[in-house]
Amino acid sequence: MDHLGVVLGGVPTTLLVTATCFGVGAVLGLVLVTGRRSGSVVVRGLSRTIIDLLRGIPPIVFLFIVFFGIGSGAIRLSPFVAAVIGLGLISAAHLAEIYRGSLLAVHRGQFEAAQALGLGRVTTYTRVVGPQAVRVAIPGMVTWAISLLKDSALVSTIGVAEIMSVTNQDARSSGSSLTPFVIAAAIYIALGSPLAYLSRYLERKLSLKGAR
Amino acid sequence: MTEPLTSPARPILSIEGLSKQFGDHTAVDDVSLDVRPGEVVAIIGPSGSGKSTLLRCINLLESPTTGRITVGGIPTEVDGKVSQRELVALRRKVGMVFQSFNLFPHLTVLRNISLPQERVLGRSRAEADARSMALLEQVGLASKASSHPPRCSGGQQQRVAIARALALDPSVMLFDEPTSALDPELGLEVLSVMRQLADEGMTMIVVTHEIHFASDVADRLIVMADGRIIEQGDPKTVIDDPQVERTRTFLSAIRDR
Ligand SMILES: Nc1ncnc2c1ncn2[C@@H]1O[C@H](COP(=O)(O)OP(=O)(O)O)[C@@H](O)[C@H]1O
Ligand SMILES: [Mg+2]
Repeated sequence: MDHLGVVLGGVPTTLLVTATCFGVGAVLGLVLVTGRRSGSVVVRGLSRTIIDLLRGIPPIVFLFIVFFGIGSGAIRLSPFVAAVIGLGLISAAHLAEIYRGSLLAVHRGQFEAAQALGLGRVTTYTRVVGPQAVRVAIPGMVTWAISLLKDSALVSTIGVAEIMSVTNQDARSSGSSLTPFVIAAAIYIALGSPLAYLSRYLERKLSLKGAR
Repeated sequence: MTEPLTSPARPILSIEGLSKQFGDHTAVDDVSLDVRPGEVVAIIGPSGSGKSTLLRCINLLESPTTGRITVGGIPTEVDGKVSQRELVALRRKVGMVFQSFNLFPHLTVLRNISLPQERVLGRSRAEADARSMALLEQVGLASKASSHPPRCSGGQQQRVAIARALALDPSVMLFDEPTSALDPELGLEVLSVMRQLADEGMTMIVVTHEIHFASDVADRLIVMADGRIIEQGDPKTVIDDPQVERTRTFLSAIRDR
């Protein structure tokens, strides 16, 4: 009757799925936000459409499209890879919007000063605007990481053996449903709270250093 | 334009037929202006008369609708597309100081001045820092080198902004109401740095409402209204005896404040 031990067995996979999807989303989100701010109308429109689609489709539907729709056709995708593609792309869209909002929060004068000094686009973003935008983006990014941690339960439906999946099996085989799921709930909360703490800590630290 | 290239009378900055339209509103209307090396030109005029837009067109923060800008003998046709190379070349020669300072708040005062030198001129960090410190000394802020801008007063921030622009060795400095956001006594310390700069022979175009600065320091005063230059000449002459009715009205309005 070691429900806790069984449910804990799913933790590494949950963390791996969450972290990988977040990493993929953080990087692809940069690509999308760059597209969103491109000088070309076509690139802007395309990036915007991709972001809107990824944010508009329910995550479970998108996961099924990736795994059952695409991943079982010409190309075969393992459940883990399908999960990372699915939730990674959805994360990219959400993080792109968070980045975009944080860039809008940087005063226009910062871009103008950088331009007037003759700084290039890359330097402007990496050295001037980026570091200021990051401070604004961090709380939203951590909030997204917490959502992603919870949404990772969805990938149990395509057969990834994370917390939800092992809990479900445990409930079926033991015949006891309440205890395993309550334990799972407690574990999600325990995993999420350091993130919330981290968010507050970083916010404080970055705002002190920036001395705004 | 028959003077030899080396003639000191040759303008360092020449603006020909510059216009800027926002939709169907003409913010700058066919302005031409030659600035001699070392000349200090003050621009005054009512709000909305196109002063900021004119300055912003000179370093292409706004792309002018038509016109030609020549800095240091190299012309840039600004109607149509300006290439990235021309853009960078032009901005390298023109320094700009904004009303709202626009220092980078996450960088120290020293980094604010050194980073552009490293990135734009390719100076090493040591070279850049040495130049930054010399300039900070000059504007009286050496002690603030390791502070962050939000910890400095507005007057201090504006002096750092001036040092940051000077560090790139511009041929011309543009100032857009550099003291308008400051309390009068803080404005004075900025004006004194600008006066010192003018004495050292820097070519400057200064949009300002500081009529004393204009009359004491400027070599020429330009009055703008509705995107055009409506009057220009020796500052004292223009101030004491304006020829255009609108200049008279505007001058009495700012005197009354
Ligand atoms: N980005 C812009 N878009 C539309 N209109 C603008 C823009 N910038 C300035 N203008 C207009 O151009 C005119 C000149 O503005 P500006 O150059 O700022 O005047 P000044 O600096 O003399 O007060 C104003 O009517 C202003 O509303
Ligand atoms: Mg203005």
